[in-house]
Amino acid sequence: MIEILQNVLIPFLDLKLLSLVALGTFSGIYIGAIPGLSVTMAVSILISFTFSWDVYPAISLMIGIYMGGVYGGSRTAILLNIPGAPSAIATALDGFPMAQRGEAGEAIGITTVMSFFGGLIGITVLALAAPSVSAFAIKFQPRDYMLLAVLGILLVGSLSGDSLVKGIFAGAMGLMIGSIGLDPLTMDQRFTFGSTAMMGGISFIAVMIGMFGVSEALIQLHSMKTPGVKQVINRIVPSFGTIRKYLPLSLQSSAIGVIIGALPGTGGDIAALMAYDHARRVTKDPEVPFGQGAREGLVAPETANNAAVGGAFIPMMTLGIPGDSVTAIMIGALFIHGLHPGPMLMVEQPHMFWFIVGCLMLANIFMLIFGLTGIKLFVKVVEMPRTVLIPLILLLSIVGAYAVNNSLTDVYWMLGFGVLGYFMRLYGFSLGPVILGVILSRLLDDNWRRAIISDQESLPRLLHGIVTSPLSLTLFLAVIVIFLSKTPLWSMLMRKKTS
Amino acid sequence: MQSNTPRRPGELGFNLFIIAASLFLLYHAYGIAGFDALSSAGAVPMVTTGLMTLCGVIILRQNLRKPGKTAETISRDILPLPVIVTIAAITAYAVLLKPLGFVPTSFLFLLGLIKLFSARSWGFSISAAAGSVALIYIIFRLVFSVLMPAGIVPEGEILAAIGHLFGAAK
Repeated sequence: MIEILQNVLIPFLDLKLLSLVALGTFSGIYIGAIPGLSVTMAVSILISFTFSWDVYPAISLMIGIYMGGVYGGSRTAILLNIPGAPSAIATALDGFPMAQRGEAGEAIGITTVMSFFGGLIGITVLALAAPSVSAFAIKFQPRDYMLLAVLGILLVGSLSGDSLVKGIFAGAMGLMIGSIGLDPLTMDQRFTFGSTAMMGGISFIAVMIGMFGVSEALIQLHSMKTPGVKQVINRIVPSFGTIRKYLPLSLQSSAIGVIIGALPGTGGDIAALMAYDHARRVTKDPEVPFGQGAREGLVAPETANNAAVGGAFIPMMTLGIPGDSVTAIMIGALFIHGLHPGPMLMVEQPHMFWFIVGCLMLANIFMLIFGLTGIKLFVKVVEMPRTVLIPLILLLSIVGAYAVNNSLTDVYWMLGFGVLGYFMRLYGFSLGPVILGVILSRLLDDNWRRAIISDQESLPRLLHGIVTSPLSLTLFLAVIVIFLSKTPLWSMLMRKKTS
Repeated sequence: MQSNTPRRPGELGFNLFIIAASLFLLYHAYGIAGFDALSSAGAVPMVTTGLMTLCGVIILRQNLRKPGKTAETISRDILPLPVIVTIAAITAYAVLLKPLGFVPTSFLFLLGLIKLFSARSWGFSISAAAGSVALIYIIFRLVFSVLMPAGIVPEGEILAAIGHLFGAAK
């Protein structure tokens, strides 16, 4: 026990490591906040810098960036409606309306504190339950992943706005966009129209920036003369009452975040969207409706995406399976430094596991400190005159889309999706389901096909497999219940029950 | 509830466009592997594009039920001039980025839009555009080493000269 504590405290007590975690977290917040600069990219670049370093400093810096980056995506989501990272997509849905009402300071304050809670819970679960949670995650069959993706698709109901049918259209469009390119299983071309540029698929970042950034800027052009919204930032740190009020939702969202984060191939983005949907379902009377600046709409995704960080480390450390793209790169970095993440790491080098837990804890504390400071300067951005802010948003969007692959094609895609998103918004389509579809496309498609192939192309066999596996059956029943809860029949039953 | 809201200008046209696009994509999805197998590469694309087509038709039905009279116009409420100009400016940016380079293209892009939208003095527009480009250049190009097209600006030489200057100072 003392040995564990000693290893956890290494980054806290060594000034160099402490500074590296602080530097990493600080940089991560700003990298995460800038669309087009992803945490994955930053950690990949860092590997080349830290190649010759000792393992402890290298890991300290990378973990800081990871933790800060997941949180940082929320900043531009709230202030500009451009999610800095995919895990902040759900945050934009209610965060941006809050900023439009002049409550950006409060929104960032809630986001920061809840991200801290989520991170803390994720790390605690990582420390306490890593072996058992990873054993649970490894039991997932392709059909379970497929059901998980279907569960995710059902979030369309919560993200659809006024029209469910338009939401379903947008979700299906997202799934279609996600399937563009060479099929990874058969190498068949899908929607490429013979173009080699489309064989690698369409950059998700270009779609995201186009749909959220460009379309938002184009919509804002309608009200160009409106002055920038004056932000109230008297109180950034949420009151104890506010924290206590949202604590139950925060705990539930953390649980969602940890579990989703621990599943290989699913990360903070899916966790945040699922937590958002959960918040919509469990919050009976929000002070402000969802989509118009509900605080619950910030608490749930922000807690979940940071909890997913701890979750993603569980399969990485104990099984050597990445939980998301950043942990995939981290596995590579650990290999470079002579470590072998997997079941034997816990046996042969447990000190490394506990050191990483310590770094995560420290990064989480720095995230809270840096997150709650410097907000006044950050919110000045939204108070700029729109006549300057909108061209700047557009330039940032263009550069962000270009920077991902150094490709002009991505800029054209961004513009195309921006214009499409603009018209969709004008005619009452929500854009959240499009992004949801793109995110879940691969998870659904690959696992549906793996599942049906393993059941010899037989639907009855697949169904039999689902009902005879407790895990699959639980997921299947969850799908059925959530699906029914979106139908008019359910609301009729609920109305009858209450009357 | 929705059917009482009047149809917006161009809504029907957009609706027909998404149905036509969905049908085209459905036809293409069928072409991937036909009805080969449930696990074929075209199975999920056929379901998604089929769903898009179906939803498109339902939305059309809802739209046709809406009252057509509205005070809105295409030129004022759907495609006002600033929107058209901005779309054209982004297209021009993408076209000019490679030949002109990041710095001049971005500067021209910002200068044009800021001047057009704000109608303020040239001095304000130039300084706002130059300051913004400088900030983005420092973040993307210098801090994060994102390669942006240099175009007509001898960027490599300028950066090397600055490097030498600091090297000599040391």
